[in-house]
Amino acid sequence: MTPSVGIIANPFSARDIRRVVADASGVQIAERANAVLRVLAGLYACGVRHAVMMPDRAGLMHHVLRGIARAGNQGLQRYPEVAPLDMPLFGTVEDTRTAAALMRAGGAGAIVALGGDGTHRAVISACAATPIAAISTGTNNAFAEQNEPTVVGLAVGLAVTGQLPAALAFRANKRLDAVIGGQTHIALVDIALVSDRHVGAKALWKPETFRELYVAFADPTLIGMSAIAGLIEPLSRRDAFGLQVIFAGEGRAARARLRAPIAPGLIAPIGVADWRRIAPGEAIVPRLEAGSLAFDGEREIAFSRKDKVSITLREGAFRSVDIAACMRAAATQGLLREDTPNEDAGDGPLLMAASASS
Amino acid sequence: MSDNPFPVDKAGLLEAYRMMKTIREFEERLHIDFAKGDIPGFVHLYAGEEAVATGIMMHLNDRDRIASTHRGHGHCISKGVDVHGMMAEIYGKETGSCLGRGGSMHIADLSKGMMGANGILGAGAPLICGAGLAAKFRGDGGVGITFFGDGAANQGMVLESMNLAAVWNLPVIFVCENNGYAEATSRDYGTAVKSYVDRGAGFGIPGVHADGTDFFAVYEVVGELIKRAREGGGPALLECEVIRFFGHFEGDAQTYKAKGENEYNRANRDCLKIFRAKVTEAGVISDAELDAIDGEVAELIEDSVASAKAAPLPSPKDLMSNVYVSY
Repeated sequence: MTPSVGIIANPFSARDIRRVVADASGVQIAERANAVLRVLAGLYACGVRHAVMMPDRAGLMHHVLRGIARAGNQGLQRYPEVAPLDMPLFGTVEDTRTAAALMRAGGAGAIVALGGDGTHRAVISACAATPIAAISTGTNNAFAEQNEPTVVGLAVGLAVTGQLPAALAFRANKRLDAVIGGQTHIALVDIALVSDRHVGAKALWKPETFRELYVAFADPTLIGMSAIAGLIEPLSRRDAFGLQVIFAGEGRAARARLRAPIAPGLIAPIGVADWRRIAPGEAIVPRLEAGSLAFDGEREIAFSRKDKVSITLREGAFRSVDIAACMRAAATQGLLREDTPNEDAGDGPLLMAASASS
Repeated sequence: MSDNPFPVDKAGLLEAYRMMKTIREFEERLHIDFAKGDIPGFVHLYAGEEAVATGIMMHLNDRDRIASTHRGHGHCISKGVDVHGMMAEIYGKETGSCLGRGGSMHIADLSKGMMGANGILGAGAPLICGAGLAAKFRGDGGVGITFFGDGAANQGMVLESMNLAAVWNLPVIFVCENNGYAEATSRDYGTAVKSYVDRGAGFGIPGVHADGTDFFAVYEVVGELIKRAREGGGPALLECEVIRFFGHFEGDAQTYKAKGENEYNRANRDCLKIFRAKVTEAGVISDAELDAIDGEVAELIEDSVASAKAAPLPSPKDLMSNVYVSY
């Protein structure tokens, strides 16, 4: 029997104020359900026959199960059997953590998580060594790479059924740890320190409040905090270091001024006072004494002068499915291809090979 | 740096707490007095949802209008309707906000921009389109806010009003106070897509979600929505997830709720406790200052009940007065 795959789809991502203060998109429940069905179709095509799914109170899983039932009524077998997890629901991020822990304990080969960076962070906080395949249905998502859910399903299916070796299919990722009050909180991409000392609407969209930034990777093709660092020094997910950025203001002169896309459609002038690479394991005490810690672009914890904060980059912190590597290998190894034997292939090639141009 | 980390100054924080506490005390008292049979008619209590009304109304002035629901006491109090007049109205007395003719579900005070509680589910939505259109014609920067529950979110007139507001680009905000139950029907049972912000997409208006137990979350989000509406950005939809401490109506046995649900919510998701913890832990306001407000509010409510009880009932000869308008 092939391993089961876990499906966690957050119905509540992409709902915050950035739909008003920026031009962010919303993702409707029906569209999220369709994305899950596309993942399931990909999984099934690669041999996965069983999946477990986090239930929810927004109707998302219901729509998925209805789609599966319809295929069954048509006499089609397009999807794996999907079993809802037996778990209490609170409509909070705890649901995601609980589901990820249950999937890990149940031996899921991987967890496909649809949501924003916050959803993916919650999965990773609870899934231990179980690899994650992240799909973005959030706002400023930096962690999830842009992949069609169908293709994510195919790649994960090839990986968990052993058609691709783990060393190729899964990659190790960096993360950032913030320790405050003896508690460790993780970020997948960035930790920003902002002067707002309240969490409120959570989102970050006021550059004048930005004070410090720590990134595990910095990609100028993204939007949000990682993009700010990416415009200074692009840093890949595989580079063995991170970046610390100190913003200008409060008496600090700008060494560089950026025009940075900090939210969808929102490009803001950002003054940067200084930056440097940070090594894994180095515990850094931020300069800001009171403010809020924002993980992957959302204010989560307010802190005051009484609180001791330290930030550390960790290597090899969790595993994810390398979708691009899986699909390249699928192509080169012919995993999704069946060649017709020569004797059945007709009268020869239809196309001539291109000649080398001079 | 100021010692106040919040986006509201200390006076504003004290005002917000007084507003929330007044609503809570008002509702807790009605819960007791209704059970004693002192109150005619019907009451639907707002206790548990105070952070939404307060987080919104702290941004409004008398020029801005609201259209409320059958669960309207919190909206009235936070919009500035006189508590004595409200209590007398609920007691059906001549000194009430509407001269005792309306009762709980018809409290209105146009001088405060409060267009009325409403016994018809979702009926505030078309009213606020009218208020929004008036504000737009006047060009006075006024906004309109209408409230409805997760049950009324499925009413046609709410959806029709969203379309109308979008077509006319009105400065109105549709606020869904989602307490999880349409009367006794759980949203899990009676609504296909339980993310109410999704409804905005059908009309091309933004839908935003806020934690309705956190005054500061509501306050910050609504501030941006109102700013957008005043600037001509048009309507928006806000869903606040809230807790309803009491039943749908007073006397509701609440058999549809899980065992211990109310107790859990009172202990862990009480917006007043959450507010108190935040402002005291930040050192901005002391427990003693909040306790003093508690005492003053308790006196206010006690006095409003005493006055209401002592006030005269409307006279039978006035049965038809102040009911119809002459055209």
